[in-house]
Amino acid sequence: MIEFQQVYKSYGRGIDTLADVNFGIAAGEFVFVSGPSGAGKSTLLKMISGLDTPTRGTILVNGQNVGKLQGRARPYFRRAIGTILQDVHLLNDRNAFENVLLPLIVTGHARHAAEKRAHAAIERVGLGGKEQLRPEELSGGDQQRLAIARAIVNRPALLIVDEPTANLDRESAQRIAEVFRDFNQMGVTTLIATHDEALISDYASRVLHIEGGRVMDLGTRVPRKTGNRHEVRA
Amino acid sequence: MSPLIRQHRYALGVTLRRLVSQPFSSIANFLVIMLALAIPLLGTAALLSLQPVANHLAADPEITVFMKVDATANETAAVAERIKRDHKGDISNVRVIGRDKALSDLKANPAYAEALAVLPGNPLPDAIVVTLAGDDLSARAKRLADTLKTWSKVDMVQLDSAWVQRLEAILRFARTGLLLLGAVVAVAVLAAVFNTVRMQALSQREEIGVARLVGATESFVRRPFLYLGAVSCAVSALGAIGLVALALDPLNAALADLARTYGAEFALRLPEPAWLAVFVVAVALLGAFSARWSVNRNTRF
Repeated sequence: MIEFQQVYKSYGRGIDTLADVNFGIAAGEFVFVSGPSGAGKSTLLKMISGLDTPTRGTILVNGQNVGKLQGRARPYFRRAIGTILQDVHLLNDRNAFENVLLPLIVTGHARHAAEKRAHAAIERVGLGGKEQLRPEELSGGDQQRLAIARAIVNRPALLIVDEPTANLDRESAQRIAEVFRDFNQMGVTTLIATHDEALISDYASRVLHIEGGRVMDLGTRVPRKTGNRHEVRA
Repeated sequence: MSPLIRQHRYALGVTLRRLVSQPFSSIANFLVIMLALAIPLLGTAALLSLQPVANHLAADPEITVFMKVDATANETAAVAERIKRDHKGDISNVRVIGRDKALSDLKANPAYAEALAVLPGNPLPDAIVVTLAGDDLSARAKRLADTLKTWSKVDMVQLDSAWVQRLEAILRFARTGLLLLGAVVAVAVLAAVFNTVRMQALSQREEIGVARLVGATESFVRRPFLYLGAVSCAVSALGAIGLVALALDPLNAALADLARTYGAEFALRLPEPAWLAVFVVAVALLGAFSARWSVNRNTRF
């Protein structure tokens, strides 16, 4: 589903934020991208979702070369990906329901069908009964859930999430992570960038670690809950 | 309903919501554009009202032949007959106004009645009004006037089309001036809409970013702003029409007094409904064009 081939990314001055990145992610995988703050996790995710382009190299997502996408094709490419950025970017001038409805309006869904889908997405992330509240009236965890509902309402095959638990307490963070896990088990390829080692330890997942601009594939770890924390299986 | 129509409906809804959410700013914006549009619209109303008058007068140019004061009624009638006979192809009508009739007409006007009452006799001459017909009237009227001046018992020949030509020249000047004024107003409207859309685009930065994130095309992002420009301009154009219609009442009352002193009926009127519909649509398109220009420049983030 995702293929990085000798990808470099620099923001001027010749310093590579990411250098010689090579990895592949198959459909249905649940992958954490770890690394310290400023390591380039967000840059990596933005390039996958077409919000940024590589300086060199090839990124293939669903067979499409992201770097070569024409301006007009980019929005249609993004529709197939659910993206949740670190700042969740919810619109405070409309309620939770209307926030979730927006991607469906963008894709031109009929009103009735769109409303049905938006309700279902809100229920699925556990925000039922809070449809009429504005994002600013929701807790941090609920805002994250709302962002998830908006990201999955168009039923994407790929979910990209940047630091979903950065501003949440441990319990809320685990509940949010469970939501992602549920979607992954329904077949949605999920890629989560986080520097929260404790969160990564809780799940059996593949980990890509970024440090010094290099990406290392740490393979799949056994979750802490079942013991053998951080044990590399493959 | 097709997805495109649904998206247009959504964009229009977003536009109206944005306008209503900032009522004072919206009203101020409408007023600025409305007042700017009202000025050339009023000018157009005046021009369109004057043009038929000029056309009518220019279509029937007349030459007035004033006889000498001592010319008898028979001599005047003979000159009238000669004009009919010698210039048959140039004229459509010849009318004799006797000096007694001219005096009684003049006395009927209260402005002159007092002055005429103190005169010992009738100072007015007989007059022959010749209405011209055919093409190339301007040149032929001048030739005919020059000929008639040489005839016996003819004192003076007045070419009545001269002032019509002057009026037409004034109207041409006014039309050119109005075109320039229209261009200036169009630029003012462009600037007003450009700035309004720029402010809106900056305040909707977050929404634009989210829309792009979830896969909105640039057309989807731009559409509410285009509607904002078009709706603002269309509403302002309708307001300008209403304003001019209101202004025409007192203006026409004042104009009627002036026209009466010339013994004429004249009133300013709004252009035809079809013309007004084209005006509203053209202004709305101008607004949409300006909005597109602005949104293209101000949403590059």
